Amino acid sequence: MKPYFLVTLVLLCGWLTTCETAANQHDADVDDNEFAEFEEFDDEEETTTVKSHQEPKERKVDTKTEDVVSKDEIEEEDDDGVVESEDDEFEHLQDEEEFEGFDKERGSSPKSKGSEKLPDLEIAKVPLHLRTNWDSFYVEMLMIAGLGVYFLNFLAGKTKNSKLAQAWLGAHKELLDSNFSIVGDDGTQKEATSGTLMKESENVYALWCSGRAHVEGMLVELKLLKRQDLINVMLRMFKPASDQIVITVDMDKSSMDRFVFAVAQKKAALRLHKDMNDLSQFAEKKNVDRYEIPSSYQILSEIGEANQTLLDKKVCQVLTKYEGLIEYIHFSDQYSGVKSQEETQSKLPETKAVLLFCFNVPDKGKTRPSDMEFVKPLLQFVFYCIDKVSRLQLGKEARGKADKNRQKAEEVFLKSIHSQRQEAAQSRREEKRRAEKDRLMNEEDPEKARKLEDKEAKRELKRKIPKVKMMKVG
Amino acid sequence: MSNEAKNNVNDPRRPNKIIRYKAPAQGTPSDDPTPDYMNLLGMIFSMCGLMMKLKWCAWVAVYCSFISFANSRTSEDTKQMLSSFMLSISAVVMSYLQNPQPMQPPW
Repeated sequence: MKPYFLVTLVLLCGWLTTCETAANQHDADVDDNEFAEFEEFDDEEETTTVKSHQEPKERKVDTKTEDVVSKDEIEEEDDDGVVESEDDEFEHLQDEEEFEGFDKERGSSPKSKGSEKLPDLEIAKVPLHLRTNWDSFYVEMLMIAGLGVYFLNFLAGKTKNSKLAQAWLGAHKELLDSNFSIVGDDGTQKEATSGTLMKESENVYALWCSGRAHVEGMLVELKLLKRQDLINVMLRMFKPASDQIVITVDMDKSSMDRFVFAVAQKKAALRLHKDMNDLSQFAEKKNVDRYEIPSSYQILSEIGEANQTLLDKKVCQVLTKYEGLIEYIHFSDQYSGVKSQEETQSKLPETKAVLLFCFNVPDKGKTRPSDMEFVKPLLQFVFYCIDKVSRLQLGKEARGKADKNRQKAEEVFLKSIHSQRQEAAQSRREEKRRAEKDRLMNEEDPEKARKLEDKEAKRELKRKIPKVKMMKVG
Repeated sequence: MSNEAKNNVNDPRRPNKIIRYKAPAQGTPSDDPTPDYMNLLGMIFSMCGLMMKLKWCAWVAVYCSFISFANSRTSEDTKQMLSSFMLSISAVVMSYLQNPQPMQPPW
């Protein structure tokens, strides 16, 4: 038993060492040029080493019992095998009894070389960590540089937008203070405060003003360009755009008569007519020839009388002078925002009376804080419009037309809701019937099935016979 | 005095008619969906980078979260922004720890 055990153990050790040497020899061939000339003998060497292993192993089994010693000897014999194939001259030196020490020395040098080779194998994997060969990471450097550039642009854009907003506020504060009780309320404090320019994002600033005749409140939104986003900056190189100032004036319902009116740049007019609830429902395109306004504008109006009153000399002058700066003006007592994407609406959308103004800041994109001064006359125009609209009184006929329009719109809406409800009810009924039929089909008990069938038949009959209302007379 | 009276008449200010500012409802979709899209894209890319060990995915995720941060509104939760940013950074770090080789350019 013991010898067999030893044999298997020895064979296992031998196999392990052959694997090592095979690997070593390959490395040797690759790394150590000293052994390059023996490359061709690779296979032969391996086979010879294997063969040379087996013989000494068998010899050793009987004489030696320690595994460690035998392992050492086998290792030595490995080297012996290598040395053997090198040169026949040194064959006589392979006698271990005589030259054990010498062998070890000889063995140690190739062995040490082998051990050198071993570390080489491991070191080959390490260089990527230890070697500071940063040149190979140039893609990563590019990425980090890109991020750095983006971040720098973010800071620069954010600062520029902030400066522009502050410049606008500085230029207009006096005018606003003279028109409103509070200028700049953010709605967070207990009492109404003044002087807060709300920052909604890095490129959108808002200002709420309130406390004026005919007006519930006015929201000024500075929709500046996204200077803080590098991608947007690059897109704008191809498609220039301007900073915009959007002013939403919430009018007192009592101060505004019933009409829907808009004057816009042609492109904007198309968009508004399609998207806005009130403009799509009530307004029609009108000719601009009758009025002294540039042809780049389009009029969308419900009531012709309102046009004539609103587009007076001063308004036309302003529209002509600031043609590029006025994007659109939209007056409506039925304003409810953009058309909802949802197909089903449970109730009529809430409407309010508003005056909307959208102004472009001069110097498309390349705005400087000093440019904000030029926008001041437009704010004065806003106040003029507010007063004009509050004074506007439509004639009886016009008012009647407006009322009729609104009633019609409401009816249409209710009809659509009704039809939607009917459809929903119908589909529900269908579902119920289908469910019952399924139940009937699945019913295994014949008695129950018959009962259900009778029930269904009765129900069908009931549905077919018109319902007769019983009335008590007398 | 008449001047003062005149001023009062012409003065459009009405201190008694002040209405407080009501911020628009949080849930309403605003005009610009960019930050939300970029946030989502960033998360998708960082998950791809982590799962499939793709370095370029992780880098794109970092860019997406940066863009989302730049375009975000102040009313939005900073925690979500920060978490997506951290996720993308961790995707980059993990892909480099697992495979320290430099990225191969496509050219």
